[in-house]
Amino acid sequence: MADKNKKYENIDKSQFQFVQDEKKIFDKKFDTKPIGYFKDAMMRFARNKTNLTASVILLALILMSIFIPILSTKNAEKLEETLSYLPPRIPYLEDIGIADGTKMRYDQPVDPTTIDPETGLGLPYSTLEKYIDLSTLENYYGGCTGKDELCEGGQNEIRIDNNKTGAIVRSNTWLSFSKIYSSKIVVDVEFISDEANSKLLVQAGPVAGVYVTIGEITAPGVYTFDPYLDNPVFPASAKIQLRYESEDTALKLSLNSVSIVSETEDASEADQIKYNYSVSGYTLSQYQLVSEVILNDEEEVIAAYSGTYVRANGLRLMSSFRFDAYAEVFGDKSQIAFPASEYNLLMEEYADVCIQMEDPENPDGWLFPEGCPIVKVNFQNESVFVPGKGEQFSYNLVLNYQIYAGYEEIPYFFFGTSAAGKDMVKLIFIGLRTSLTIGLLVAVINITIGVIYGAISGYYGGQIDIIMERFAEIIGRIPWLVTLSIFIALIGPGIETLIYVMVVSGWIGVASVTRTQFYRYKGREYVLASRTLGAKDSRLIFRHILPNGIGTIITSSILMVPALIFTEATLSYLGFGIGHGQSFSILGINMSGVSIGVLLSDGRNQLRQNPHLTLFPALIISILMITFNMFGNALRDAFNPALRGSE
Amino acid sequence: MTRYIIIRTIWIFIIISIILTLNFTLLKLAPEYPPTEKNDRSIYFARQVSDGYMTERVERNPLIYNAIYNNELIRPRNAEWVNEDDQYRVYEPISIANQYFSWVENIVTDWNWGYSTRVQVNVPVFDVLKSRMGVTLRLNLIALFFYIPIGFALGILAALKKNSVTDNVISLGVMIFISIPSFVMMTLLLMLFGYTLDWLPTQFPSADLVGSIQFTGLILPVLGLSFGSIAGLTRLTRAELTEVLTSEFLLLARTKGLTRTQSVIRHAMRNSMVPLVPSVIGSFVSLLSGSVIIELIYGIPGTGRIYIRALTKNSYDYNLLLGTTAFYTIIGLFAVLLVDLSYGIVDPRIRMGARK
Repeated sequence: MADKNKKYENIDKSQFQFVQDEKKIFDKKFDTKPIGYFKDAMMRFARNKTNLTASVILLALILMSIFIPILSTKNAEKLEETLSYLPPRIPYLEDIGIADGTKMRYDQPVDPTTIDPETGLGLPYSTLEKYIDLSTLENYYGGCTGKDELCEGGQNEIRIDNNKTGAIVRSNTWLSFSKIYSSKIVVDVEFISDEANSKLLVQAGPVAGVYVTIGEITAPGVYTFDPYLDNPVFPASAKIQLRYESEDTALKLSLNSVSIVSETEDASEADQIKYNYSVSGYTLSQYQLVSEVILNDEEEVIAAYSGTYVRANGLRLMSSFRFDAYAEVFGDKSQIAFPASEYNLLMEEYADVCIQMEDPENPDGWLFPEGCPIVKVNFQNESVFVPGKGEQFSYNLVLNYQIYAGYEEIPYFFFGTSAAGKDMVKLIFIGLRTSLTIGLLVAVINITIGVIYGAISGYYGGQIDIIMERFAEIIGRIPWLVTLSIFIALIGPGIETLIYVMVVSGWIGVASVTRTQFYRYKGREYVLASRTLGAKDSRLIFRHILPNGIGTIITSSILMVPALIFTEATLSYLGFGIGHGQSFSILGINMSGVSIGVLLSDGRNQLRQNPHLTLFPALIISILMITFNMFGNALRDAFNPALRGSE
Repeated sequence: MTRYIIIRTIWIFIIISIILTLNFTLLKLAPEYPPTEKNDRSIYFARQVSDGYMTERVERNPLIYNAIYNNELIRPRNAEWVNEDDQYRVYEPISIANQYFSWVENIVTDWNWGYSTRVQVNVPVFDVLKSRMGVTLRLNLIALFFYIPIGFALGILAALKKNSVTDNVISLGVMIFISIPSFVMMTLLLMLFGYTLDWLPTQFPSADLVGSIQFTGLILPVLGLSFGSIAGLTRLTRAELTEVLTSEFLLLARTKGLTRTQSVIRHAMRNSMVPLVPSVIGSFVSLLSGSVIIELIYGIPGTGRIYIRALTKNSYDYNLLLGTTAFYTIIGLFAVLLVDLSYGIVDPRIRMGARK
């Protein structure tokens, strides 16, 4: 070791020099740019491409919710009944068969006269014929309960009215009986309960003014009764009467058929038809209900008969088909009574195109050239005298709805139209705007309350903290069903209830985050320093501790917004939040009572007929929730890298 | 431990009674909606008197009679005047505090939760609920047992194949399903499988239908209920298992000579279960309150439907509301209690409530 150092022992003094003899040293500027907290967070935020995409989509949605309601020229305010329930129609996509403005109709009764002998398919009773896509036409049997000829088969049910002894139905026509051919009455009962003394009395008559009982049925099955057995003098023409009695009016009787069977093998054809009679299904449903009250000698009611008689399990030929809804709405429409005043107005407005022409087929009417809102007039209706207005008359005419409604070409409703004929695109974004505004507003309220509460609880600690924590726990444990029922009962459904329900327990999360932040910072030296200098509590809280924690508090609260939108949508969907026809103003912005939840609630009973009413709001709210959650997570991860991955 | 259990139990009971008291008192402040039909109405008022919520007296004074008859007197809130020839039978509510004591007494001594006023007129609330609890509980339990294995399996898969394509797909799916509101999900499922494809019934089958429809009718509500829960459980399982998989004791297990499978099953899984068990118990509560809206969409005759019906505008059935919300509150808070206790039991390292 000594040798090694030897060579340094005798170094000449001249070889030494000061590094900076004359110079002063200053802090050098960094060559690279400094990265602040915010910039660092932004870099981390931008690194996650999925979340960045989600945030861009979210931003686009928010911008659309601001600008579409302003810029869209479509109608979302006034009622346009004729345009209701139009399916979506989008340019270009319609060429490949998606969103082409056609929609399905189901369960439309078939008009038997239109059944095509080749295909065996019939068209429905409606004016849609021209617009039906025949390749999608299908016929099938569907259930029906109507008392009409096309509702075939099935049973007829007799039910007894409350507090009545029974119910009576009677044949609507006189039926022929013959003793020579030994006519018999056959009754086929599908169901009769064996409880509560239920029985069906088969009666016929009138024999000497009264309906005589021929048989009694207490169990399901086919029964044959001979009317001549007890009644030697039975009339040749009589009515059948079915008297159903039961002690329990909830029980029903179900009938398959009623027939008269005679031994007419050797008789003439006319007699065979005359004495053999059978009714079931629709024909049986034509039997009439008869009300009857039986009094005893003291004129007191001992039995009262009254009930209902309905069809059950009937089948009807139905059709389902796809039709062009836009062509139907904007096509030619017959108007039976078109007011003359409106007719004259149209004539004035379209004076240059509407030149009256002779109709070669119809001397009473006249035609108009193309471009005129009225295609042709069939005839002028007889005038009616209206008091105060004098003679009024109207026309029976055919209207071209497209020109009449003022559309130069058939419009495109990208998401279809609502029940009131409003444009769904505009409605959805108006709804989205409402949902977002409510969400943000309530989030601000919740954060304010939560920060103040958490600050007090965390700053003071000790007994105050324990009590405030317990209180927050109790409030937080109240189920939303309880809060909702209280506010609904006290205030009633509406925007106020909505906000209260969301505020009651919404602030608790923020309060607990704030409390943790306060515990973290309140012991720091700078707080102590400030306190020694005589700062008040409020100054310590708002100037020293809160600014340090606020970043964490805000980023962890950002996820509250989608949660609040979720709650708003749920409550409005259930009908306890806002609804159509309401209007309110938040921060100076006037809102109509349309939110995504309201729109979804509108579509609830239209899932089959008009799926577009549900599909598009559902998609938009789903995209909003997904992107908002991803954005919130990304923001939180960016600002608190330590929290990454934990939820 | 015993001390901790006792304190938690007492605390939960305190919360339950505070919530129920709050609910009762605030609902009593709202205008009552007695039954509309005359007979039911008189039965209702007679019961109100016998249950100790109202006083009954007969007003024979002709001056007052005439004043009432001519609508000159303002009727006190929630009071009722019944005209009986030349006299009025006057029913007046007693003070809310006294009503509250009667209410508590009725529940504690007779288990009498009051009578329904609008939904099923004059039927005891508990009977109304009893007939509907079965469906709701059954549905939620099926959903619970349906979602747990799927959620665990997906979470484990994602954690074991961390940062692979499988993991990314699962994580994206989790993000999507956790975000979509359950009623939107249910509606979309109903639209797809019920109406468009026509595979499943579009309404909850009524109890008197027999055959496979009873089973197929359960599929949609169970799916609608469990999608969100599956996503939540998957996310939690993945997070917990990932954390355990990177811990030192697992490395030790591997160096000891255990295979990956052995170490994962015996060491990682067991340790990651600790926070999962309480969260599964807790999820039952969110399932239950989520089922309110699913019941409405799918026409399920459960307690949620009854709650919504009792909350029909201007026809509020307070007794039924109180009963239903009590049902949800009690179940919810007992689940909370169970969660608290399970923390202590599952993981001995956690000693909550122990003296510092």
